[in-house]
Amino acid sequence: MAVGRSELDALLAPAEGQSRRSIIRAVDVRKVYRAGAQETAALSGATLNIYEAEYVSIMGPSGSGKTTLFNMIGGLRKPTSGKVYIDQVDIAQLDTNELAWLRCRKIGYIFQTYNLLGVMTALENVMLPMSFAGLDGERAREKAIDLLKLVGLGHRILHKPDELSGGQQQRLAIARALANSPQIVLADEPTANLDTKTGADMIDLLAWLRAELRVTIVAATHDLRTLQKSDRIFWIEDGRIVRVARPEEIDFHSGRLKTDGALQ
Amino acid sequence: MAKDQVKLPLSVALDVVLQGIRIRFGRSMVAFAGVALGVAFLMSALTTQILKEGAAREEEMRLEVQRRISFLTAETGPPRGKTIGVIQVGPLDAQETRLLDSLARDGLAEIRWAGDPATAPSAVRAIVRPAPLETVGAGASAICVVGDGPAPEADFRELLNDARQKVLILSRKAHRVAPAADLSVTTLERQPPEDQLRKLAEDADRDRLRSFWIVALSLVVTVISIANSMLMSVTERFKEIGTMKCLGACRGFIRRIFLIESAMLGLAGSVAGLVLGAAFSLAVSAATYGQMLALQSMHAGPLLADAALAIAAGVGLSIVAAIYPANVASRMVPAAALRTNI
Repeated sequence: MAVGRSELDALLAPAEGQSRRSIIRAVDVRKVYRAGAQETAALSGATLNIYEAEYVSIMGPSGSGKTTLFNMIGGLRKPTSGKVYIDQVDIAQLDTNELAWLRCRKIGYIFQTYNLLGVMTALENVMLPMSFAGLDGERAREKAIDLLKLVGLGHRILHKPDELSGGQQQRLAIARALANSPQIVLADEPTANLDTKTGADMIDLLAWLRAELRVTIVAATHDLRTLQKSDRIFWIEDGRIVRVARPEEIDFHSGRLKTDGALQ
Repeated sequence: MAKDQVKLPLSVALDVVLQGIRIRFGRSMVAFAGVALGVAFLMSALTTQILKEGAAREEEMRLEVQRRISFLTAETGPPRGKTIGVIQVGPLDAQETRLLDSLARDGLAEIRWAGDPATAPSAVRAIVRPAPLETVGAGASAICVVGDGPAPEADFRELLNDARQKVLILSRKAHRVAPAADLSVTTLERQPPEDQLRKLAEDADRDRLRSFWIVALSLVVTVISIANSMLMSVTERFKEIGTMKCLGACRGFIRRIFLIESAMLGLAGSVAGLVLGAAFSLAVSAATYGQMLALQSMHAGPLLADAALAIAAGVGLSIVAAIYPANVASRMVPAAALRTNI
């Protein structure tokens, strides 16, 4: 499915009223996995542009390359070919330590399975990435407590993750993701393991954080409510971004674009 | 910008390690047990060496004392009810002490002591009578010079005038006395023959070599078992490692965590192992040589030196064994944390 010039422009253009500073840019990214003689192309030329303080959702069926793309824009893997720029920096040029620094300072992760460290309390979980960034001691503690209060866990700071409910764990994960005041927050299916109400709360929280802190949020998701709150939605299929749209352009009942999807 | 990444404070790494050990206690026990057993074997071999050498030396000393007593008895008859005169010229050594003890046990009645009576062995103090040099030989079966120092300048024939028998015994070669007519002098100390010394040294070396190879092999097995257990731990914790890398941990931090964890388990295992090994050795020696001899052969000095060696070996090998697993962990891709299947 070739992407035409005008469609490319549409892909790259930010939503109206948003800042035009590009925070994440992928240009014709390809990723090939080699298993012996077998080669699998996970990404075959994905291109996208995400702007500062946008709330973006990435949708795609399993096998579409969504996870691989997510890994790329999160600085977890380097592309086989093509370019990935995170805050104007080409990640292919960075060595392992520099990438670690990037992940530490610029990007906050919210994993689908929370991935909280069970050996540590909520407070320690939030403080851990801070110590990687060189912030420790009293200042780290204060900042961690503020973040936990921000996500509504001020009364649970000394609890271990297995003493918290699913929703609370997710909130802890969010607080941890914000530990080093990142520019970008990547959320991998943030509401997948939550019930309806908690999921809704989560999405509201993320949207609120975006408005308050001006972080860019990139969510890989299937959740309709997340899509509705997003500024833009990207569709990935067969290793390529095939569609980008704004929530108002989608008829959520039929799952189709209201206007004629020229990229189909 | 990477320069900004500060060297992570050791305390955070230590914290993660301690909590981790507490949580994975069962699995930590495997590595711990591996080190403990390896070190126990090492310590047991070392301690057995000390005990064997100690016992051999003991045996030798006993034989030597026996020889001296036999000589004395041959010269002066059985000690029961007799008196000997002792000229003490310095501190006594173990053999001299044993000799006097043995004579007292066999019924020696009196020791006329010319010297500092406080240096007399406690076991014989009851029969010690301080006496001036001139009358030390009064009623004695023999006069004996003991102690670390030269024999006094004295006319020994004069001293032996009042003695029952004219026997002068010098305990050490250093107690040289000018030869004089009708004065029979014997020196107890003799040099063990050349080949006997050589044989002893050869035996000790052979023993050491034999146990060295067995111990070395067992330590190799220990290292392999620690490495295996650590590797399992690393592969199990892929999510934790991946998550920490996503949060910004650099390779060095991850590597440090595993090395420190192994070192701590190694230290704990070494301490347990050395206690176990030493105790085992002592028990075996007690069964072989008898309790008294075994305990007597435990000299604090070499034992502590061996303990330090055992701990150094245990900790050192634990760290070496953890190098490969720690490297595997540090090289893990952060994306591993996102995997939902194992």
